[in-house]
Amino acid sequence: MGLFDKLASFLGIRRKDCNVLVVGLDNSGKSTVLNHFKSPDCKDSNVVPTIGFSVEKFKYKNVHFTAWDMSGQGRYRNLWEHYYSDCQGVIYVVDSADKLRLAVAKDELDILLKHPEIKSRSLPILVLANKMDLRDALSPVKIVQGLGLDQDLVKDKPWQIAATNALTGDGLAAGADWLSDQIQLNLSRRK
Amino acid sequence: MSSFRKDKKDEEEGGSGNPFNNLEKASVLQEARAFNDTPVNPRKCTQILTKILYLINQGETLGAREATDAFFAMTKLFQSKDVILRRMVYLGIKELAPIAEDVIIVTSILTKDMTGKEDLYRPAAIRALCAITDTTMLQAIERYMRQAIVDKIPAVSCAALVSSLHMCQYSGEIVKRWVNEAQEAVNSDNIMVQYHALGLLYHIRKSDRLAVSKLVTKCTRMVLKSPYAACLLIRIACRLIKEEETGPDSPYLEFIESCLRHKSEIVIYEAAQALVNLKTSTSSTSSRELGPAVSVLQLFCSSPKPTLRFAAVRTLNKVAMTNPAAVAACNLDLENLITDVNRSIATLAITTLLKTGAESSVDRLMKQIATFVSEISDEFKIVVVGAIRALGTKFPRKHGVLMNFLSSLLRDEGGLEYKAAIADTIITIISDNPEAKEAGLSHLCEFIEDCEHTSLAVRILHLLGKEGPRTKQPSRYIRFIYNRVILENASVRAAAVSALAKFGALCDDLLPAILVLLARCRMDTDDEVRDRATYYYAILDQQSRALNSQYILNPLPVSVTSLEKALHLYTLDPVDTPFDIKSVPLALESETAEAEKKAGAPEGSRTIQIESTFEMLQAAEPTATRLDVFASQLANVPSVAALNLGPLFKSSQPSDLTESETEYVVQCIKHVFSRHVVLQFDCTNTLSDQLLENVHVALEAPEGWEILAEVPCPRLEYNVSGTVYIVLRMPEEISECLGSFTAVLKYKVRDCDPATGLPDSDDGYNDEYALEDVEISVADQVQRVMKTDFAMAWEEIGPTNELEDTYALTALNKLDDAVRTVVQFLGMQACDRTDRVPPGKSTHALLLAGVFRGGYEVLVRTKLAMSPQTEGVTMHLCVRSEDPSVSELITQAVG
Ligand SMILES: Nc1nc2c(ncn2[C@@H]2O[C@H](COP(=O)(O)OP(=O)(O)O)[C@@H](O)[C@H]2O)c(=O)[nH]1
Ligand SMILES: [Mg+2]
Repeated sequence: MGLFDKLASFLGIRRKDCNVLVVGLDNSGKSTVLNHFKSPDCKDSNVVPTIGFSVEKFKYKNVHFTAWDMSGQGRYRNLWEHYYSDCQGVIYVVDSADKLRLAVAKDELDILLKHPEIKSRSLPILVLANKMDLRDALSPVKIVQGLGLDQDLVKDKPWQIAATNALTGDGLAAGADWLSDQIQLNLSRRK
Repeated sequence: MSSFRKDKKDEEEGGSGNPFNNLEKASVLQEARAFNDTPVNPRKCTQILTKILYLINQGETLGAREATDAFFAMTKLFQSKDVILRRMVYLGIKELAPIAEDVIIVTSILTKDMTGKEDLYRPAAIRALCAITDTTMLQAIERYMRQAIVDKIPAVSCAALVSSLHMCQYSGEIVKRWVNEAQEAVNSDNIMVQYHALGLLYHIRKSDRLAVSKLVTKCTRMVLKSPYAACLLIRIACRLIKEEETGPDSPYLEFIESCLRHKSEIVIYEAAQALVNLKTSTSSTSSRELGPAVSVLQLFCSSPKPTLRFAAVRTLNKVAMTNPAAVAACNLDLENLITDVNRSIATLAITTLLKTGAESSVDRLMKQIATFVSEISDEFKIVVVGAIRALGTKFPRKHGVLMNFLSSLLRDEGGLEYKAAIADTIITIISDNPEAKEAGLSHLCEFIEDCEHTSLAVRILHLLGKEGPRTKQPSRYIRFIYNRVILENASVRAAAVSALAKFGALCDDLLPAILVLLARCRMDTDDEVRDRATYYYAILDQQSRALNSQYILNPLPVSVTSLEKALHLYTLDPVDTPFDIKSVPLALESETAEAEKKAGAPEGSRTIQIESTFEMLQAAEPTATRLDVFASQLANVPSVAALNLGPLFKSSQPSDLTESETEYVVQCIKHVFSRHVVLQFDCTNTLSDQLLENVHVALEAPEGWEILAEVPCPRLEYNVSGTVYIVLRMPEEISECLGSFTAVLKYKVRDCDPATGLPDSDDGYNDEYALEDVEISVADQVQRVMKTDFAMAWEEIGPTNELEDTYALTALNKLDDAVRTVVQFLGMQACDRTDRVPPGKSTHALLLAGVFRGGYEVLVRTKLAMSPQTEGVTMHLCVRSEDPSVSELITQAVG
């Protein structure tokens, strides 16, 4: 720990660092969402499908985020769990226009929530109903129902849904605000 | 080449002070959990990673589970921006990639580093990425690889090129598509990029000779900036020259010669070495052709750089072996090097001079070597010994000096290989130079008095047994040999007993004494020694020259593995008749000789042939011989096995019945039994649009031969070989058993789709294809047998079935050609080294021994003479055999 960190924690203003896990089916827009938060000189001009994972760092409000952008392709989904233990929040991205695979998205979310590393903790879960700009996109309410967020599986965790367009950034701020608030709350509680 | 003297420093450091010395895998892996901590502590994690890498490189193995856990923990470290840590992570990925599971998880993140802004990451990220990528994933990163190959940063480009080369092993097809990028990289100004790019291009095109020659032609025109690339190009050009067997005006050769004028020393050296290798490999090279290469090497001899001097003198040394005249011009420069501070250079210089110099300089050079021979490593000592061996052949009169020097070397310290080289050299000198024999043998006797190498002592004892009895005073060796019986281990004692027996068999006056000694050996504690002593005693006691020659002096003529098998079978199913050794296939002289050559005997050296029955039993590795393999193959063909042909006598080498590169390729192997021949036709169909069915061979047998069985090949698919067998009964009368058979391949053709190999339709048509004639020759029916004492064997067999005749071999006008042809034609073993014609002679006696199928011994004595009137060689041939018709067959066959 650097000198500043020591000093800061002594004064009770510990620096707000947090790990968030960004998961969801492939092609839902996870990497695009994160690209939006990156500083202008780090932005990718075109987002390519992720193979495995990627880490992105950015600052939003007062929180320094380290975001683990996981690949959503079937063959990588069972590798998500390697990164569960040390995250303080989950961003679950859903392609609102992909009605066919909404059930798959629900199954994956259920598996995630049932995982021992996640189940026991009160992690904030931010669900992004992405690609809301598409004509046949489902409404956030439909997504909540489709994912079963109204059921008791998540009743002990704070969660929030935000309708977003990752290409333009619409709706992302609202979601991110909520998440950073939740995380700050958790951090201050832990002290 | 190993360094001249061992570095003292290594020994002193020896282990202490190494902070990683007592690492334990379990605790290091435990520590690796710290990788999961946030925030990452780069210093600590770098330390831990170093430990993991250290352990792996020390040979510690991680299980898949352990590796996978460590690997995923390591991926967390990507959140740190610490450069040193990140580079350690790349190394960690490369090490764990082969063991851990799901390593492709880092594909995206590595791709990001590889294409990112941090130049320190990029080359290492490429290497790590290629280590985790398999053929399916390679497609996903192909675009980035192509870009990286032509990146403007040389380190990135090099990393991409070298990684591509590695990936050629399993994804050759994909890497082939990057040829344009590689081509572009060859034009790079950076020397390393150009070198690696040429390496990759060559690798991609390697299998296509035309493409390679285009590449070489193109590169030779563009003048490569990189000396390394130029060296590589020279090597590729050499390979092309060898493959294409182009003549002296090949453009590649011209290119290599032009490199002798390159401005870089390493290119000049590479070119000189290439020329030397190319030219000395073809036997007829004049020293003028080597001239240009030798002159640049000569210049290097006086270079201030020791590496250049070393390289030059080493290459000159090689030239001197085949072409001493070409190196003679450098003698002065070499003289200067014999006092070089670098002992390796001095040694090579002296040994080169020994090969090129005059007889008068031998004494001086030997003295010079003696001053430092004790200081050089065994490896160089062997070089010195090799030079002395060559001297022995060149200046037979110098044998005294050489022998003394060698025996002093024998007394010094040294490893087995070195000592064996010395002993070999002494043996070579003895066998080439009868005058040196007595002195050489006594040096060897003295050596075995104190020789720690069992294998060497055994060899020398064997030699003493072979040569000692024929010297003027055989009795002087007995003491040395018998001392071994008293003092040494069982193997050496056994060899000594065998040697003693040979003295007994050949020297009548020593026999009583030998019998006494052997009687004592019968009390030995070792079974083998006792058995040998008992065996030899029993035979020698009979005092019969015939017995001695057959059971002591001549080797067991049968193949040991076959004998073992035959005896085993006999014991499994005992019958009243005694075991017949004639039913056991004979040992192939050529096979044993071949095996010996492969065993690494340096060229030109004649290792002692292990001939005694028992030595043979010990030495022969229990591997199946070629004959055994064929015998069991034939036993698996039901209609052949059903005929009960008895033991297989000889299988010929395959002969081609078609031209190469024709539609169908057919080879024939002739398996000869005591009264039958099985013809094995190995057929290949090289037409991808045909499927052949019911393939058989129609044979026209001459009178007296009878076809007993035919085994057709039901299907012959494209490029899958199939076999047809024909069993023939040979004529009763042995003298009619030579023949020539016309053969035609017959089959039904079904056209098919080349892609799938499936026939287009159900029907086909019959067709045939003419083959070359199948010949059954004398050589097919004779096995080679070595006779250590031909004259005695000749007397033993007697003149009952002797036949003789004189022939004019008009097609041959050199004695050694004639010898080679006759040996090959009769398929017999040349005895008493008569297959070598001493240079400058106009007559020569060739002695041949063999066994005809059915177990009849045959001996042939020929006198060959250059005939002055007619161009050609006249041959007088005399055959003796145990059966009159065998003699008849042989005289007929030659005529
Ligand atoms: N129309 C639309 N397309 C989006 C949106 N978010 C992402 N995309 C597109 O969806 C594709 C997949 O995005 P990506 O970020 O790679 O998805 P990931 O596999 O979840 O990381 C890309 O072509 C994006 O351009 C969105 O909100 N609206
Ligand atoms: Mg992605």
